[in-house]
Amino acid sequence: MIALIHYQAAVLMGSQRWLPPVLLYVTLMGVVIQWDRPLLDSLGVSAAMLLPVAAWLVRISVGAEPTSSRQCTAAAAGPGRVHLSSVLTAYIGASLLGVAGLVYVVSVSDPHSSEGQVNVPVFPAVVAGVLASSACALFGTAVGALCNRPLLRSTAWAVTSTLLGALLVLVVSGSPANAAVRGLVTGSHTGTVNPPWGSAVLSLAVAALATALACTQASRRG
Amino acid sequence: MRLDGVCRRYGRTGPWVLSGVDLSLPEASLVRIEGTNGSGKSTLLRLLAGIDAPTEGRISGRPSSAFVPERFPAALPLTALGFLTYLGRVHGLRRTAAFKAGRDWLERFGAAAYGRTPLSELSKGTSQKVAVAQALMSRPGLLVLDEAWTGLDLPARSVLDRAVAERVADGGTVVFVDHDPRRLDGAPSAIYRVEGGKLFEFEGYATHEPGTAPAGPCVRIEAEGPPGAEPPSGLPGSPLAESIPDGSTLLTAPVPYCDPLLRSLLAANWHVRSVREEFLEESAGPAPETAPAESAEAASAVSPEEAVEAGEQAGEGSTVEAAVESGEPAPAESSEEPPEERVEITEQPAEKSREESGEATR
Repeated sequence: MIALIHYQAAVLMGSQRWLPPVLLYVTLMGVVIQWDRPLLDSLGVSAAMLLPVAAWLVRISVGAEPTSSRQCTAAAAGPGRVHLSSVLTAYIGASLLGVAGLVYVVSVSDPHSSEGQVNVPVFPAVVAGVLASSACALFGTAVGALCNRPLLRSTAWAVTSTLLGALLVLVVSGSPANAAVRGLVTGSHTGTVNPPWGSAVLSLAVAALATALACTQASRRG
Repeated sequence: MRLDGVCRRYGRTGPWVLSGVDLSLPEASLVRIEGTNGSGKSTLLRLLAGIDAPTEGRISGRPSSAFVPERFPAALPLTALGFLTYLGRVHGLRRTAAFKAGRDWLERFGAAAYGRTPLSELSKGTSQKVAVAQALMSRPGLLVLDEAWTGLDLPARSVLDRAVAERVADGGTVVFVDHDPRRLDGAPSAIYRVEGGKLFEFEGYATHEPGTAPAGPCVRIEAEGPPGAEPPSGLPGSPLAESIPDGSTLLTAPVPYCDPLLRSLLAANWHVRSVREEFLEESAGPAPETAPAESAEAASAVSPEEAVEAGEQAGEGSTVEAAVESGEPAPAESSEEPPEERVEITEQPAEKSREESGEATR
């Protein structure tokens, strides 16, 4: 699996198709995360922005390999494992982006509540931010895995559903990603840190299920 | 490896591309799949290689597999050697071993100069060489070739023929589709035809029964074992072994098996007297009695490999005779010299394709 991920990462990096989502993330972060913005608020917003970027990265990664070379890797390692490696590669990429985003957020944000009266403890806030970012990266990965090859083949359907799926998961109340982000943003008003443990665990389960479904279908519809 | 009642269709309501396919693929076998365009050959190959799963039925006992697609215009942002190294590692090799195997196979196919070229800049034929190298470098238990010869130049085609024979000699299973009906002529152990979604055993071309003379281009090796010894059992290519009155044995096998056969004989301390290539018609009888006298006239100091290469350059239908000076493999000479200087090419008047072969040689 490690060899496959190395290969997929080399293909993804060389293809330069990762550039648009990464640029989008960097631009949004630059615009939204201003200097001295309240820490918890910034953490919540940066986590939310990671979700569509993760979904987009999955879309790029599962389609990065041309059919002919995918047949070669699939014969060597099995189509399910090849698909899993491409989803994992995208998830790793999204996680790296998330880590960079967190470092940026922590270094520029103001560790106070939104009204500036209550001090926010930085370490618990960062833990909450990591959990929220993980939940969003995992949900984005799940959306990307469900809305692209091999489950959805037509580009129109795949792009539309990836976008809509990422948006819905973010805004519909009741979705764990939404709950994680909201917990941080509302906590920012009072300066209370709500680490979204439940959302992180739930999103891990959802991402695992979605990826497993996509991987079993990789050989049936590959 | 076995296929039991394998069916495949695309989509829930699509027509059955394959239905009720039962197939058993033993180890050390070479299987040819026949069929018209769109008959489901490629689907069957994808199922065999594990790229695709059957809609119904089951496939069991698949060994480590490798697949060569019919077209390999991989627009990957990797160099040829970089791709091979990654694929070698996916196939389970270590990094240095993968790099070395990739380099060696590119060299064997005459594409060593393209190791650092990006895949997207390679010509069709060179890309195909990379695809073939990818499949061969891990010595897979099952090798599936979907028209892998298409696009390769002539020397690379015979390298692939020999590599296929090597896999089979090593105990591997090779399944191939090719539109050239003469591809590996006489060497397959079974031929199947896909027609109307069903798989039939096909009798149209000659298959090679173990221990009989193969039809088509074959190699005849005159060898001498320790006094009174029988030829070693399980020789690559299951050659026909005939005793010659002077005490040596004449082994006849399909041409691509020449190298592994010679290697096995030499490893078993047999002395190789001569190696020549011949084209046998399907109902070929015992060997013609020309061998010993003429081979003695042939020039000396030719290693087995050189003799075979010379034979292949002469083309099908010719008879190339070369005496091997001694049983031990001669140190390889520079193979850039024209083979005519060292190998005598005799033309047998009875053979029809003699003129073609003469032209091919000169």
